[in-house]
Amino acid sequence: MRISYLVSVLCVGLAVFAAVPAQTPQLTPEQAVGGKLDAPVRIEVFSDFQCPACRGFFLDSIQKVLENYCSQDKVCVIYHEFPLKNHNLARLAARYSKAAQRLGRKQWLTVMGALYTNQAEWTWDGSVDAVISRTLSPQDFAELKKRLEDPSIDTAIDQEVALGEKRQVTSTPTFFLSSGGKEERVVGGVPYVVLKGYIDRLIG
Amino acid sequence: MFRRILHWLCRLILAGIFLYTGYIKLRSPLQFAAVLAGYQLFPDALILPMADYFPWIEIALGVLLLVGWKIRYVAVAACALLASFLAVLSITYFRGIEANCGCFSFEDRISLLTLGRDTLILLPALFLALTGARAARSEPAPAKTA
Repeated sequence: MRISYLVSVLCVGLAVFAAVPAQTPQLTPEQAVGGKLDAPVRIEVFSDFQCPACRGFFLDSIQKVLENYCSQDKVCVIYHEFPLKNHNLARLAARYSKAAQRLGRKQWLTVMGALYTNQAEWTWDGSVDAVISRTLSPQDFAELKKRLEDPSIDTAIDQEVALGEKRQVTSTPTFFLSSGGKEERVVGGVPYVVLKGYIDRLIG
Repeated sequence: MFRRILHWLCRLILAGIFLYTGYIKLRSPLQFAAVLAGYQLFPDALILPMADYFPWIEIALGVLLLVGWKIRYVAVAACALLASFLAVLSITYFRGIEANCGCFSFEDRISLLTLGRDTLILLPALFLALTGARAARSEPAPAKTA
């Protein structure tokens, strides 16, 4: 009797401790790569375009989440630039991504997809510009080149890096999944099957 | 007396380890599921249920070790759990898969160091399984009869 009482008290205590309240910062709809900010589940990813694990997570998991959940506004996916210092081209790629974000969601997704899909190519010869130029329309590419000259691009990237550091992001990908006022920090990618099962459970 | 102290020390260390590791897994079920998926050993369908139940098994073992109920059986169960965990980590390591250990945090990679550390954790569990409750009471082993 005493043992079962002790175990129950401990379990309840652990469950209460285990619930981590969400500490999400102020976000704008432009930061969402898919879904609406008020979706029942939010995934905030800190990612580096030169990181192979980030590539796998975006192409194998996040793109499927965008297709299957964000299109129905069940999940909101937010991407933050977090170029790691040991990746010499990550910052350059992040600048293109940030500039594309300012053109619109469609262009942003196109640029992100191109950067991750062709990661091996541009990390080999630094041809970020060439990779992007063949994926965007000439008008969008010209507009993107103009936006790249805006110094606020660098400020925006610095702010996202600072946000990541504040939230104890040390490696990429790191993402925060929040739902129902609770937030979970996950370091590394998660296969789509696992992520899907978890999201399905959260949205019932 | 020494044996009794050692017995209590083993129980406390193991209980502390199980409670702590169970707690961090319970706190981050998706992160733990990601770690399990990273081993590339379990079917996808089993990963989320394993991430759900495994932490509770660890917590239950921790509590039972503290309470001291059926200590020998609990220690045998702890040995089995630790040995299977060690086997999974070793298989992953020797297959050359770069995965997180998921032992005390979710950011330490499986290495010879983590394998050695987990082997050391197995020792107190083995000691408890072999000595059982007798050591806690400092009772001499029953004399063998011819």
